Amino acid sequence: MALLKREEWQGFVRDVDWTYTYVDDDAVFPEWHSGTGKVPREAWSAWEEDYKVSYPEYVAVQRDKEASAYAVKAALQRSSTFEHLDEGWKSATKMHFGGVALVEYAAVLAELKMARFGLNGAWRNMATFGQLDELRHAQITTFFGHEFVGKDAQYDWTQKAFHTNDWVLISLRNLFDNMMIAPNVVDMAIELPFTFETGFTNLQFVALASDALESGDVNFANMISSIQTDEARHSQQGGPTLEILVEHDPVRAQWVVDKAFWGSARAFAALTGPAMDYYTPLEHRKQSYREFMEEWVIDQFVRTIEDYGLRKPWFWDEFMRGLDIWHHGLQMGLWYWRPTLWWRPKAGVSQDERAWLAEKYPNWEKVYGDKWDVLIDNVNANNVEATLPETLPWLCMTCHLPCCNATQSRDGTWRVRDWPLRYDGKTFHFCTNACRQIFWKDRDNVNHETLVDRFLAGQIQPMDVGGILGYMGMTPDAMGDDPDYEAWTRDYVGRPADGIALGAQS
Amino acid sequence: MTQELGVEDQAPQLVPLNAIFATDFVQILVPVTTANTMREVAAAVAHHVEGRRVRALPYDKVVIHEGRRLPPDMTVAAAGIQPLDHVTVEYDIPEGS
Repeated sequence: MALLKREEWQGFVRDVDWTYTYVDDDAVFPEWHSGTGKVPREAWSAWEEDYKVSYPEYVAVQRDKEASAYAVKAALQRSSTFEHLDEGWKSATKMHFGGVALVEYAAVLAELKMARFGLNGAWRNMATFGQLDELRHAQITTFFGHEFVGKDAQYDWTQKAFHTNDWVLISLRNLFDNMMIAPNVVDMAIELPFTFETGFTNLQFVALASDALESGDVNFANMISSIQTDEARHSQQGGPTLEILVEHDPVRAQWVVDKAFWGSARAFAALTGPAMDYYTPLEHRKQSYREFMEEWVIDQFVRTIEDYGLRKPWFWDEFMRGLDIWHHGLQMGLWYWRPTLWWRPKAGVSQDERAWLAEKYPNWEKVYGDKWDVLIDNVNANNVEATLPETLPWLCMTCHLPCCNATQSRDGTWRVRDWPLRYDGKTFHFCTNACRQIFWKDRDNVNHETLVDRFLAGQIQPMDVGGILGYMGMTPDAMGDDPDYEAWTRDYVGRPADGIALGAQS
Repeated sequence: MTQELGVEDQAPQLVPLNAIFATDFVQILVPVTTANTMREVAAAVAHHVEGRRVRALPYDKVVIHEGRRLPPDMTVAAAGIQPLDHVTVEYDIPEGS
C-alpha cells in the first residue's frame, strides 16, 4: 500500500480540536490556566506555527541528534581535553550546568501545561514536542555535567544546585517560577518561548557554542548546539500566541513582553555577563557582553516586537544604561561573595584585562577601577581575609540579585542608589526602578522571600557566615574561591597602597 | 508599660539596615540597635567596606537618612530610623580639601 503524502494526512493529526458535548469548554480550558482574557475563544482557531512537524519526523530527527551528541561525548571522554581547559571557561560551564540543568526540567512542566491548556490543537501538539525537548535538555545537561563530578566536586552542583537555597538559585527559581510555573499558558507562551527563548537563549546558545569551541571545549559546544536546534523549533509557539493577543489585548501583550524581557535581562547580566567579560580568557574573547547584547539580543528583539505592533518596553533607557554597569557590579559581587558559589570566579582585572574592559566600557575605570585596586592591594599585602564577606549583600525583592547598580549623578559621580517601596507595613528595596515597578504591578504574583528576608526572619541558624553557607547547602569541597590570585594581582606588586584594611598594615 | 518610656530609656532593639558606604558598589545588610549612635552606625557600615573595597580616607564619617545628615551623637532611636530603612555613610570631607 502506498503511503499517503504528508500534506494529505497532516491535518488529521494536527487539527484535533472538536466541540465538546459532555462538558463546557471553560471546564476543559479554565481561565486561570488557559488565560484567554479579552481574546474571544474562537480567535485561537487562527493559531498556526511557522513550520509543522509530525511525530515520526520528530522521533527520527531527535534520534539522530542524540546519537551524534553522545558519540562525540564518548570519543572525547578518552582524550585529555578536559585537563587542558582554562579554569575560567570551566567555571563558566559549572555555572551553566548548575544554573540550567533543572531549569530545563521546570521548562518540561511549562510545556506540559501548554500541551494541556493551550487554546488550539496545533499549539498543544507543538508543546507536546516541546516537553519532550525539555526533558532531553534536562537529561543531557545533567549527564554531561555528571561526567566531571569525579574530577571536580563543583560539578556535583549540576544536579544539586537547583535543590538548594543558594542565593543564585533563589534568584533563578523566582524568575522561572514566574515564567514557567505560575502563568496561564497565553502569558507563558509569550514569556518563555517568545521572550526568553527567542529573545535570549537561542542566541546565547549560539554564542556559547562558539565560545566553547574557541576555548577548546568541543564536548560542551556539541551539547549546547544539540539543545539549540530544539529550541529553535519549539520557541515558535510564542509568535502565533503573541500575534493573537496583540490583536485583542495589546496592553496585556506589551506588559507580558516587557516584564519577561526585564527578568531575562537581569539574569543574563548575572550569568552571561561575567562569563563573557571576565571568565573567558582574553585571547578567546570575540566580543564584549555589551556588543553581544546589542548585536544578538537588542537589535533582533526590537525588530521582532515592532513587527508584532508593540513598542520598546517602558524601561528601555534604564536597561540600555545598565549594559555598561549591571554585569560589572554583579561580577564584583559574585567575586566578593565567592564562598557562596559552586564555581571559581576569576577576578579578571590584570592590566591587560583592564585595558580591554576600559576600551569596551569607557566608564569602567571610573566606576569600578578604584574598588578593584583596593582589593588588589589587600591581596598583595597578604590580607585576602579582608576580601571575604562578613555580611550579606542586600538582595533586590524582584530579581533577587544584589542591589549593585551605580548610576551617574549630574555632577558626574557614580553612586549606587536606593529604590525603596513601603507597602503592607514593610520596606522593600530594589536594585532598579524597573524592578520596583514590576514588583508593584505583580505584587500578588510569585515573590519568594529573599535570602536577606529569610536571615532576618531567623530561618537561617546560626546567624553568621557559617550558618548562611550551611543554609545554602555549600560544602567546603565545592565552595568557590579565586582560581589564581596571582594572575590578576602580580602586575601591581610593589606599588604604594594607602588606606587598605588594618589587618594588612599591621 | 514601655510605651510610656522615652525612646532613650527603652531596652535596645535590633534594627537591621540597608546600608551603603560612600562609593561602594553594593548595598549591604548591617544590623545595629536603637541605642547605637550615628558614630557607631557609621563604623558598623564602614567595617564591611572601608579599606576592603573603598580606600580609607582620614575624615570623619556622617550618616545620611532620608536626606538628613545626622549628628554623630544622635542614637538610632532618636533619629527615628526604622528596621529595613536605608542609610548612606559618607566621608565628611571639608570643602576645598
